[in-house]
Amino acid sequence: MASDARATSLKRIAEGVWHPPRSSEAITAEIWVQGDSVIVRRAGASAGEPALALGFLSTIEVSSRVGNVPRRIAFSNGSLFETPDNAGIDQLLTKHGSNRAGAFVHGLERFHPRLIVFVAAVFLLATAIYRFALPALVEVAVLVTPDVVPQTMSAGTLKSLDATLLKPSQLPEAKRRAIEEGFGDLAKRADRGTGGYSLNFREGGAIGPNAFALPSGTIILTDELVDIAGDDPDMVLAVLAHEIGHVDKKHSLRQIYRAAGTAGLIMLIAGDVGTAMQDVLTNGAALLSLSYSREAESEADHYSVILMTKSGRDPMALARFFTALQEKLQVGTEGTSMFDTHPGMPDRQKMIEQWSKEARETAATRTK
Amino acid sequence: MADTSAQGAGGLVRAEFRGTASEYFGIWMVNILLTIVTVGIYSAWAKVRRNRYFYGNTFVAGQSFDYHAKGKQIFIGRLIVFAGLIAINIVTAIVPLLALVSPIVFLVALPWLMARGLRFSARVTSYRNVRFNFTGTAWGAFTSVVLGGVVATLSLGILAPLASRWFYRYLFNNLRYGDRSFSSDPRVGKIYGAALPAIILFVVGIVISIAIAFLIFMASNQLPADGSVEEALENAFAAGLFGMIVPLMIIYFLCAILYRAGVRNVVMNASLLDERHRLFSDLPRFGYLFVVVSNLFLVFLTMGLMRPWTAIREQRYVIKHSGITFDGDLGTVLDSMEAAGVAATAEYLDLEGFDFGF
Repeated sequence: MASDARATSLKRIAEGVWHPPRSSEAITAEIWVQGDSVIVRRAGASAGEPALALGFLSTIEVSSRVGNVPRRIAFSNGSLFETPDNAGIDQLLTKHGSNRAGAFVHGLERFHPRLIVFVAAVFLLATAIYRFALPALVEVAVLVTPDVVPQTMSAGTLKSLDATLLKPSQLPEAKRRAIEEGFGDLAKRADRGTGGYSLNFREGGAIGPNAFALPSGTIILTDELVDIAGDDPDMVLAVLAHEIGHVDKKHSLRQIYRAAGTAGLIMLIAGDVGTAMQDVLTNGAALLSLSYSREAESEADHYSVILMTKSGRDPMALARFFTALQEKLQVGTEGTSMFDTHPGMPDRQKMIEQWSKEARETAATRTK
Repeated sequence: MADTSAQGAGGLVRAEFRGTASEYFGIWMVNILLTIVTVGIYSAWAKVRRNRYFYGNTFVAGQSFDYHAKGKQIFIGRLIVFAGLIAINIVTAIVPLLALVSPIVFLVALPWLMARGLRFSARVTSYRNVRFNFTGTAWGAFTSVVLGGVVATLSLGILAPLASRWFYRYLFNNLRYGDRSFSSDPRVGKIYGAALPAIILFVVGIVISIAIAFLIFMASNQLPADGSVEEALENAFAAGLFGMIVPLMIIYFLCAILYRAGVRNVVMNASLLDERHRLFSDLPRFGYLFVVVSNLFLVFLTMGLMRPWTAIREQRYVIKHSGITFDGDLGTVLDSMEAAGVAATAEYLDLEGFDFGF
């Protein structure tokens, strides 16, 4: 300890415990400062007793403050002084102007009315992220996903559905032919072209009247749905066009990314959500990714209208199908609501009507 | 805290958690705000501050643990993972067939990642100036964690206690505190015993959810249907089926909490430090279940604002029910790692979810 030019007096900073280098041994001790020298002495040491550890403010490492967690002062020889006296250490540091960044963050974290502003800011920012950043991220993810992913995703799905829920179709050959022909006509005009989609007839069994599309372009149509359509062939085709819309717009992939992205962002931003909440988020995301969002349904409806108009069929057939479906299905109003992926039928019918009008008008202007 | 080199001469020493909700609220809120403002970059430093708060407030025999990872270290680790993911994406975009290979590569790499992750968590943890260490190998992680997971899944959870035993043996028998080692040999029979409430709840829960599904089935069956009887039946069946998935998930979730708490007690009480000092845990299963579930509701109801309070509450509850029974003097423990600082900063792989959770 070279005598400092300022020759300041020896000052006791805090009481605590000192550990020798790389050892768990604990000795009750005090930390003292003189100029920029730091000295650790045994508590109650006599004047002549040698110090336990010596260092300079520039060579010691003081842990930054987190709450009131004990502070650790590490000396270059590996010994360590620990003290619960955060105030004493802070005083020492501010006086010597070191450790500004850590002190700044701790200052923000202190329980203070300012935190209310932070809470408000976080809520605003979180809303903005959900509205703008998340959809953008989903688009990027969809863009960079290679085509094999949806292919492999849906490879086993039809097989396992066949093994569990679906049965072979009982439709008469002629009816099947007619639908296939119309479907080919639609596929030809869709994004992927004729080879991009495959139509599969099945008896729905437990899942009843339904049609759904796998991301690979595999579309499954149940006999029960064909029955509902009755003698109106355009109804079935309008539903198929809707499913083609889901495939072309990559709605499954989007929904998976959206659900996973929401859960992931919450976990990243909140950092610590707890194991229970983590379980709920991951399972919730998995459940959510099974259904399409309202916007996706609406988008697929619009796609159906356009595709039906393009192939010279009645785009309003989709609206008629919804009416027929509702008449047929007065059952199952309870229990299914949570999984109901087709909410707000009247609204959708209204929109279909509007789009049909627009589609017809644009078609008319084009022929002029 | 006098000149004694270790904790009292003997007897049970319970751990103690001294964190408070008001302190942690500020830390949590600033963590979130800075994470958003820095587009996620701060999350690495946020993790350090959070862990330092929780470790630093966990006291055993008057002294607390410490968390030594640096934000930069975790950030670099995350960058490596991120770069790896991007590389995989680019490669699969060029050679699509490799998309089928990359999950296999990931599965092969998983045990290695686990072992490294556990080593990271151990090495950045200290108590009384002495670091922990983890010496488990990737092969060990494969035979215990991966095979255990496969066995538990294939047996539909019936052999889960066996898998738990393998995992915790791998964890504790490779865990070191300075120059002392931990050892653990939880008996399978005891784990089954601890799992009993979870098993009973699971069976009862399945019966109840089937009953609910059946009720939905009957109720919708009696509604006048325009279609054929068969069709109505099938629709009702679908309703019952879907009505069952959600209750089943909830039951599984509750049972998993009960199971975890029960297994923790058995494992901790079967673990020794330095072959003499027995770890201790008397976490009440249903008490813990209540804490976790009520916390979850509080977080939902307050849109996350109560999360700091619930986190502190859960931690305090768990730590209060943990401890160690000293058999004589632990003596002076020496840090056995050569140049501990260097070894610790060389670690980048911090696998989320593979913390020890002292």
